[in-house]
Amino acid sequence: MEQIQAGLMEISGAVLLIATFGVIARRGFTDWLDAYRLQSVVLAGVAAITAYVTGIWEIYIAAILTLGIKSIAIPKVLAHVTGRLGMEYKTETNPYLSLRASIMVSALLVALAYFLVQQLPFRTDTVAGIYLPVSLAQFFLGLLALVNRRTALSQVVGLLVIENGLFLFTLSLTHGVSLIIEMGIFADILVGIVISSILLFRMSRTFDSLDVGNLENLRDD
Amino acid sequence: MLSISDVVIGILQAAVIMALSPLVTGIMRKTKARTQKRAGAGVLQPYYDIAKLLRKDEVVSDQSSWIFRVSPWINFVAIGTAAFFIPVFLAYSPFGLAGDLLLVIGLFALARFFTMLAGLDVSSSFGGLGSSREMMLSSLLEPAAFLAVFVVAVTYGGTNISTITEAASGSALLPHPQLIFAAIAMFVVMLGETGRLPFDNPATHLELTMVHEAMALEYSGKSLALVEWSQSIKQLILFALIVDMFVPWAIPQYPGPMAVGLGLSAFVVKVAVLAAGVAFLESSVAKWRLFRLPDLVSVAIASSMIGLVFYYL
Repeated sequence: MEQIQAGLMEISGAVLLIATFGVIARRGFTDWLDAYRLQSVVLAGVAAITAYVTGIWEIYIAAILTLGIKSIAIPKVLAHVTGRLGMEYKTETNPYLSLRASIMVSALLVALAYFLVQQLPFRTDTVAGIYLPVSLAQFFLGLLALVNRRTALSQVVGLLVIENGLFLFTLSLTHGVSLIIEMGIFADILVGIVISSILLFRMSRTFDSLDVGNLENLRDD
Repeated sequence: MLSISDVVIGILQAAVIMALSPLVTGIMRKTKARTQKRAGAGVLQPYYDIAKLLRKDEVVSDQSSWIFRVSPWINFVAIGTAAFFIPVFLAYSPFGLAGDLLLVIGLFALARFFTMLAGLDVSSSFGGLGSSREMMLSSLLEPAAFLAVFVVAVTYGGTNISTITEAASGSALLPHPQLIFAAIAMFVVMLGETGRLPFDNPATHLELTMVHEAMALEYSGKSLALVEWSQSIKQLILFALIVDMFVPWAIPQYPGPMAVGLGLSAFVVKVAVLAAGVAFLESSVAKWRLFRLPDLVSVAIASSMIGLVFYYL
């Protein structure tokens, strides 16, 4: 029984990593939204498995919230707000690091995450031992998407991936923070997405581009 | 020392691969036609094609050298030899003592090398284009293939296909999450090696983007039959490798009339499902630009690397 649980957890961690790679390995905004949706569904499954293994019922509610907010509400909101943006804002045509290079870098980042977790002292807990490196890897991959891409839209996606990684991080380390805080975080991220998408829309209207590099230029008028 | 029954089993397994390979091509073409709302030719059509081509005369360019004539035979012999190492209806191949997975990849490389030479040999511009593209693709695909194979090899303790399949059929998938990553990588490599759609369109002779067909464009008659047949065999070998390594369910360990029947039907069902899946995938994706293909291969390489990380850490 123990072994089956550990096996199930390892497999779900692997599937979560694969889902995270969908955000790195693709180029269009709708592809990213699909990948993020898939990732959130897997994350909800991971949370449910954790709840089952640890026997804490509150995590089930967190899993249902993940499923509802991250895999349905946030993608809906983002798709709705960006519906009026032109196609040229939605594809990442010119990232700092090419797609194939960023894929190789992200494989190295996953290795780095596993290496870092090996250096940490707490390896007795199976949940933390299996999910902690996955959450760190997710964090790193989100960070890579954030710093590597030029358009503000893809940076929002990177931020969402980082948030998913943090959720898994707290889940695996503390077996779920208190439910109130969890709900507060969910409300926070939803509002954050709405605000940032309004900002995106204003940016595209004012500057005619979503390249955040343009924000650094001084204006002389 | 090999006994007579071992030799018979080994030859039978290779014969099954050679005999069934046109059928797999037929199944894929039929599935593809049906998903595109066409009736399509019957699943036995590749057999009729090969039989017809074998009766036809050949036309050989007077600009070509002996390499052009000899290349289909080397192709067929190299890929046919590889078929002897693949377990089909039993979990081991008696000739597995003579060669492992690396030899299979090496034999594929030999066949590909001569196909590329033949493409260059006739000095038509199409052949040269095809050869240069194939060189680029193969230099990317081979490291990916090796890495994917190594993930499986470190998991099961050896590159010998019989060892791998026996260990795989004896263990559940659950304790080996790294195999998911290896399977993804192997699937991408298989698409590239068999020239399936994101890499190459196998259905057309008349596109500037074609890779394998461009090299085989000058062949006719018996040589063309050999080229097409060996391409089918290569495809079935790669399918069989994926089936043996990643879904080794219901493969019997010891010979016997019941066991062989069960193993053979399980093999046919699994390969048919895989072939139909690949055909569905082909109907749903477009051909990628040639210079975007390294992105796809880098996904395979990264996936195998993560698989290795999962194994060692």
